[in-house]
Amino acid sequence: MKDTASIKGKQLLLAFIKEHIWSYAAGICILLFSSFCAMLIPKILGIITDGLDKRNMEKEQVYKYVLLMLGVIILVFILKYIWRYLLIGNCRTVECYLRDNLFRHLQTLSVDFYSQHKTGDLVAYAINDIQAVRFMFGGGFVQALDGIAISIVSIVFMAKTINPILTIMALAPIPAAAFIMIRTGKLIRERFKKVQEAFANISDKVQENLSGIRVIKAFAQEEAEVENFVNFSRERVDTQMKLTRASAVMGPAAQICFGLSFMFFIAYGSRLVMDSTISLGDYVAFNTYMLTVMGPVMNISKIVETWQRGIASYRRLNEIFRIPPAIEDFPTVADICHIKGRIEIKNLGFSYPQARKRALKDINISLDCGKTLGIIGRTGSGKTTLVNLLLRLFEVGDGHIFIDGNDINKIPVDILRECIGYVPQDNFLFSTTIKNNIEFFKSTHTDDQIQEALRLSAIYENIMELQDGYDTVVGERGATLSGGQKQRVSIARALIKDPSILILDDSLSAVDSKTEEVIISNIREVLKSKTGIIISHRISTVMHADEILYMENGKIAERGTHAQLMEMKGSYFRLYKSQTNQSDTFGEVG
Amino acid sequence: MSVAGQKYKMGENSSKFQFLRLMGYYRPHLPLLFLSLILVIVINAVVLIKPYIIKHVIDNYIVRDINNSSILWEMGSIYFALVVIGAVFTYAQNYLLTYIGQKIMFNIRNSLFGHIQNMSMSFFDKNSTGRILTRVTNDVEALNDLFSGVLVNIFRDSVMVAGIVFAMALLDVRLMLISISCIPLIVLATVIYRIAARKNFVKMKGMIARINGFLAENIQGMKLVQIFHREKEKYRELEELDREYFRFSFREIILNSFSRPLVDIINNLTIAVLIYFCTGRIIENTLQIGLLYAFITYIKQFFDPISTISEQYTTIQSAVVSSGRIFEILDNAAMQEDIRQGRTLEEVRGEIEFKNVWFAYDNENWILKDLSFKIAPRETVAFVGATGSGKSTIISLLTRFYDIQKGEILLDGVNIKEYKLSSLRRQIAVVLQDVFLFSGDILSNIRLNNGEISEEDIEAAAKYVNAAGFIEQLPGKYSEKVKERGCTFSAGQRQLISFARAVAFKPSILVLDEATANIDTETELVIQSALARITRDRTSIIIAHRLSTIRNAHKIIVIHKGRIREMGTHAGLMEAEGLYSRLYRLQSSRGAL
Repeated sequence: MKDTASIKGKQLLLAFIKEHIWSYAAGICILLFSSFCAMLIPKILGIITDGLDKRNMEKEQVYKYVLLMLGVIILVFILKYIWRYLLIGNCRTVECYLRDNLFRHLQTLSVDFYSQHKTGDLVAYAINDIQAVRFMFGGGFVQALDGIAISIVSIVFMAKTINPILTIMALAPIPAAAFIMIRTGKLIRERFKKVQEAFANISDKVQENLSGIRVIKAFAQEEAEVENFVNFSRERVDTQMKLTRASAVMGPAAQICFGLSFMFFIAYGSRLVMDSTISLGDYVAFNTYMLTVMGPVMNISKIVETWQRGIASYRRLNEIFRIPPAIEDFPTVADICHIKGRIEIKNLGFSYPQARKRALKDINISLDCGKTLGIIGRTGSGKTTLVNLLLRLFEVGDGHIFIDGNDINKIPVDILRECIGYVPQDNFLFSTTIKNNIEFFKSTHTDDQIQEALRLSAIYENIMELQDGYDTVVGERGATLSGGQKQRVSIARALIKDPSILILDDSLSAVDSKTEEVIISNIREVLKSKTGIIISHRISTVMHADEILYMENGKIAERGTHAQLMEMKGSYFRLYKSQTNQSDTFGEVG
Repeated sequence: MSVAGQKYKMGENSSKFQFLRLMGYYRPHLPLLFLSLILVIVINAVVLIKPYIIKHVIDNYIVRDINNSSILWEMGSIYFALVVIGAVFTYAQNYLLTYIGQKIMFNIRNSLFGHIQNMSMSFFDKNSTGRILTRVTNDVEALNDLFSGVLVNIFRDSVMVAGIVFAMALLDVRLMLISISCIPLIVLATVIYRIAARKNFVKMKGMIARINGFLAENIQGMKLVQIFHREKEKYRELEELDREYFRFSFREIILNSFSRPLVDIINNLTIAVLIYFCTGRIIENTLQIGLLYAFITYIKQFFDPISTISEQYTTIQSAVVSSGRIFEILDNAAMQEDIRQGRTLEEVRGEIEFKNVWFAYDNENWILKDLSFKIAPRETVAFVGATGSGKSTIISLLTRFYDIQKGEILLDGVNIKEYKLSSLRRQIAVVLQDVFLFSGDILSNIRLNNGEISEEDIEAAAKYVNAAGFIEQLPGKYSEKVKERGCTFSAGQRQLISFARAVAFKPSILVLDEATANIDTETELVIQSALARITRDRTSIIIAHRLSTIRNAHKIIVIHKGRIREMGTHAGLMEAEGLYSRLYRLQSSRGAL
């Protein structure tokens, strides 16, 4: 897995092309051949016309040519089918190939990466940008190739078998047409962008309006809002009209350019026939060739756009592929296959990449198996950072964190994480069954184990009340469960692993006090044989821990047991006082 | 809903009716529409005449060997002139249609938005933001193709096909009959292709949506997947989805590879048959060779109009679906609020009375049951109760976000239903726990769109609520931009802005709904000191969880399960030893836990 993940996007595509080189080569050859065959048809029609014109062809001979024409048509049909199958088929494979690899690469990236990139943007990379690359590889590539092939073959046929001067005259306006196509194409793209912006503005405006509708209604702002909206709406109309003014030029402009070609063709070409320089059949065939060349020229700007977009998207993808994977096992990794859970942290300091402030300073902790550590402190005091480091979501230098006496950097990442049961702050569930969420996509547990985990997290009854028990599918991002229920499912997910180290990161915040007590007593039971770390900003959650750290600005400000800390009459004590005054007690009395 | 409304509803279901209703939007633009139809006819005529000119050149000059340079140049020029006319008219027609389409969409979008603005709160409860958003944006856009294309395109293409047949008939009826024999085949091939392609396309879209959902969920849950080390399982899941997607994606290529080339074959086959029939006649000199040329060109022109006509069907289909959703909102008159009708409130004393009020959101589960209380002008009253007891509902009823089922709510002795809605709401300023800030700057967030509030008023309001301190320290001061719903400000700062907003509107009644619940202690002190001042001059209603913040209220009303359980001052309620005193003691002694 690691070897492909480190491959950068460019090499990825090269690798793909190399892998499919024969289908590409065959596809391109067949495409060229099919263009050539397709160009024979006007020629055959011309021969038939000549035969009929000069009356020097027998009926049977004409029929033979008609049959030949039909044969060529069917041949072209088959060839076209084959090259499309090969070339465009490849580009669809590229789409899936790139997406699979992008996702695999994303899986190796750090938490830090995800805090810097919006989910929507990343999804857009995986869908829209990859599709743009596909279009470039498929339609863009094939159209360009096909267009060039058809144009060259037609022009050669026109110049060689018909008449070079007529060809030059007829094709003279084409560069002008191509120039206009490319120029207006650029203008259209610019204006289209404006249209999209106008559309996005409307969308933003409505979104904001709906989110704030309570305020708007409370302050009776409806009419002003409508007036405001009309401006956005008008902007949409104006940008569209501007776009149309440019885009509507394309077709007519090309028509006029080619109209000139036809004028030369009628005036000059007809005389060539009468001078017997060319035959009537050539005259008719020439006419068809001219119509054929028109197609690719009209398409030029579309092809250019497909390529531009594809290249831009490809660059964006490459930027993602270029980001190195977050955590990899060092070559010095030791052969460890299980962790007992003794944690030792020595003089640990840490700052996040690109952050000026240090997130952790001078942390020293020694935690034996079977003991529980409580960590308390405000948001931003470094609690979660500490856990992130224990999970090796971020890199620390050697000599700071030891587990079972081994440096954390020497422990294989998968073993480390396998042996830690982690309950995160944000109770994120996947939109699948509760069972799947607890087992986390690896069904290696018995029903009894699942039920036991559910009971320990005090959610067994709630789940059994659901129609399908733990086979109930939770809605998108767990929408059908309440915040507290989701947190409890997250706890079950960590417990079922029977980990050596259990970490609860402020994971009881949405649970009411009664249930919290039940869970805490269950967990205290479980933790007798494990190493436990419980983070909270509620003192009631951590007060039973063997040692409690009070963290402030990345440092351990106070430490000790609950009783010791209370005696100190410091920050911990003050926090305790303020919490006991403020707690919401309605739940219990009501 | 009235009987007429019911009928309307029934008619709405038929897509035929909806299509006709959509066509009704053309009415104001009929002259322009008519003009564009005329343009279409001219454009078609040009397309049909062009091959005829070349036929004319072949048969009358080339075959007869009349070598007259000036006549040929004349023919060429006529040809070119026709092309120019066609081009100019195409441009004009395109522009005209876009204009009509955009105008219609402009009107629909605006009236839709206006209609949504005046919907009552229950509409917004029932419809998610995303859903309403799609109506105003994507669904309206989906109509664009219909209005600026479909109708005229169908007309254009039908005229084209008819024109080709007519032109052929003029030239030679028998050849015409041979040529049109290919039409049924082309139609059949096109229709079969369209149906298959459409089906496949829907499936492909569905797969893309699933992949999209998978990625969104897994990117958000990536940390968990990494911590629990399930990368491989998740990768396999995506691979599976991608493989499924590839199947449909590949089927699309195969379909596309068949469709156009197949029509080419049919076309050429017809040409072959045509030549077969003509050969004898040309040799016998009963048929001119240029005629064959013209027919071949005409046959090649059959395909495009037929293909576009078959495309129109899907456009109409999706437009009808979108319009159905739009009409559903536009026809929803029952949930409309009339914010302009009724008495205007001018001098408000601020006396509020609830008389035997019953209320349920759904006419079934009563949230408030027989609620009666009175608030004197300039009094401060606090409501206390558990989550879901109905405290916040009382405020929504006072501002008439919802109407009550039974009883009466009086303001200054008059039923609030008699007041003009906008006027009533202007008198009541509500400060909520979650502050909503609009994109713009601080000024625009305090005054909203109300031009009557001057900058001086805003600064005064900010000073009054102690918000001026932090605002003036911002680099842009009052013109500081508010980004992303104000996430650059702390919760306390946002709340201060919303207090300033409430005060700037000079309300007679101030409502604070858990307004200080999410605020850091420092800002809370700032707000508390301002609160005393703000509540002094007007009737104030405070809802709070933490009882310490409402101790000084003139009256405390304890709501329990939709009814008033206790009412009185802090001291009185403490003495009464009821629910309030139990709550209060529990809150202050929670340390014993």
